[in-house]
Amino acid sequence: MTVLEGQPQPIQRMTMGDSWRRAWRTGDWWRHLGLLGFLFFMFLPFIITIIISFKDIPQFDHFPFTVTFPLHPENYSDAWRIVSRYIYNSLIASGTSVAGMVVLAAIAAWAFARYPFPGREIFFFGVLALLMVPGELTLIPAFLLVKDLGLLNTRWVLIAPYIAGGQVFAIFILRQFFEALPGEMFEAARIDGANELQVFRHIGIPLSQSILGVVAIMHVLSTWNDVIWPLVTLRSDELMTLTIGLYAFRTAWYTIWGPLMAGYVIASIPLIILFAFTSRLFVEGLSSGAIKM
Amino acid sequence: MTTEEIRAPASHATMADLRVPRERESTLGQRIYRYRFVYLMLVPTFALLLTFNYYPAFMGLYRAFFQWDIGLQPEFLGLGNFEKLFIRDDVFIKSLRHVSLLTSWRVISAVTFPFIVAELIFNLRSHVHKYTYRVLTILPAVVPGIVNLLLWQFIYDGTHGLLNAFLESVGLGDWQQPWLGSPKTALYAVTFMGFPWVGGVTVLIYLAGLQGISDEVIDSSLVDGCSGLRRLFAIDIPLILGQFKLIIVLAVIGGLQGWVAVFVMTAGGPGTASMVPGLWMYNNAFLWNKMGYASAIGMFLFVLIMGLTILNVKFVKTGEY
Repeated sequence: MTVLEGQPQPIQRMTMGDSWRRAWRTGDWWRHLGLLGFLFFMFLPFIITIIISFKDIPQFDHFPFTVTFPLHPENYSDAWRIVSRYIYNSLIASGTSVAGMVVLAAIAAWAFARYPFPGREIFFFGVLALLMVPGELTLIPAFLLVKDLGLLNTRWVLIAPYIAGGQVFAIFILRQFFEALPGEMFEAARIDGANELQVFRHIGIPLSQSILGVVAIMHVLSTWNDVIWPLVTLRSDELMTLTIGLYAFRTAWYTIWGPLMAGYVIASIPLIILFAFTSRLFVEGLSSGAIKM
Repeated sequence: MTTEEIRAPASHATMADLRVPRERESTLGQRIYRYRFVYLMLVPTFALLLTFNYYPAFMGLYRAFFQWDIGLQPEFLGLGNFEKLFIRDDVFIKSLRHVSLLTSWRVISAVTFPFIVAELIFNLRSHVHKYTYRVLTILPAVVPGIVNLLLWQFIYDGTHGLLNAFLESVGLGDWQQPWLGSPKTALYAVTFMGFPWVGGVTVLIYLAGLQGISDEVIDSSLVDGCSGLRRLFAIDIPLILGQFKLIIVLAVIGGLQGWVAVFVMTAGGPGTASMVPGLWMYNNAFLWNKMGYASAIGMFLFVLIMGLTILNVKFVKTGEY
């Protein structure tokens, strides 16, 4: 198990049982009780979803919320046939836009952080001001814009605005991080004959991997969960993303709960996989930095 | 461009300071010319921002003063849209009441339950347990939002729902109803979904604040005999007011923008029993093609969000120690 806190820890040779016993002695037990209570209600809907996803219709009618046998794993293949296309579309939209967004935002943030060019603060304010603009203000004109550009019902209608909008927050975060990097290192590289691009690629980027990761994950989460933009801009079933695809799936399969719930479970898996690989980044990035106003 | 040219401005802060006098000598034009490649780095970013963010934002503000139906020539109305909105549109006025209920509950629940959980985790002695609970509390945040909404729709379902089944099992069968389908309960069902309101990043933000309190402060408070609830109110809460402020701003913005949840759960219904302004904007724009009127609602939401954020940042004071 990992210990994240700053102070050095004695090497822990306790087994899980020991640590629980200690928790009991030190009076932590009521804290555990409270936390487990919260967690139980938090996870209850998800647990019941998984239980229902293995039921056929009669089983659901008689025992809706308890485990029933035989299990019906074929619900998952039924759901997969429908949901897989939506997952693929969401992967394309989020994957392409996150790649483009991180590249553009890193370049722009680097420019803002390391070069005192004339007009820097004005340009930066021009980016920052967009943080205050809610999607409600831009939704309708943006829709009419992509309609005039002929982008409606194509993949680009998601990718281009996602790249544009995602940059704002990313530039804000990345600039702070780039500015805090020690300048001596870049100076040394320049003395060794590296040009500006090499300094950026071979020193700046490797030093910033973790923050780039955090920015990328947050962008994936927000685009993956977007409902309204794909809903108003996509018409054909072949292009639908997971959010609106699931919404349509629910409407079509209402009351056939088994496959429906299996579809919800499948829909959650991609992000859970992402989380499994990046949970440290995620938890540390959010809880170590001084996020406040 | 040579390395020599670039080295000066791009270096460490102290280096840059040393160069300042020399930079003053060069004219603005020369400095712009020296940094021409930097402007080139910003071109793609600004091309996208101008197209997809700035143009729509200004267009939204501008068209709010027009009658603008798809396919027809826009017609200037002055404040006509806003007059209609606040004087003759009963549904909009009703939606304002609904959204204040939704947002109030969001703020109340965001400053209580996640803070309690953060305190419980913070005071655990075992670091292994702390880390485990942190991962577990963030886990629901990665379940797609739409899945969560559809699950709550199922919980509230009139015939198969979990909530009705629970009421039946504890002998309150009389209370059963189609929670989202009845005008009396739809709004409250949407407001109070998400029980126990702790999943996601809010807990982690509080925890970050608590971990930022220096050990000396906590130790000396213990020496002074300040512990338990007393410490909570005298030390923890005042010292993480910055986090509270952030969470309140996020909750207010989230509440005003949270119409997507209402759209998925009830579509504002039954009738307009759970209508909120964002959804009313959506209906006007995409169901009835009244783009100008909808833009006026969008502009109203923009001003409201901005105003509340500024108020909050300005008047909820952050404690310094």
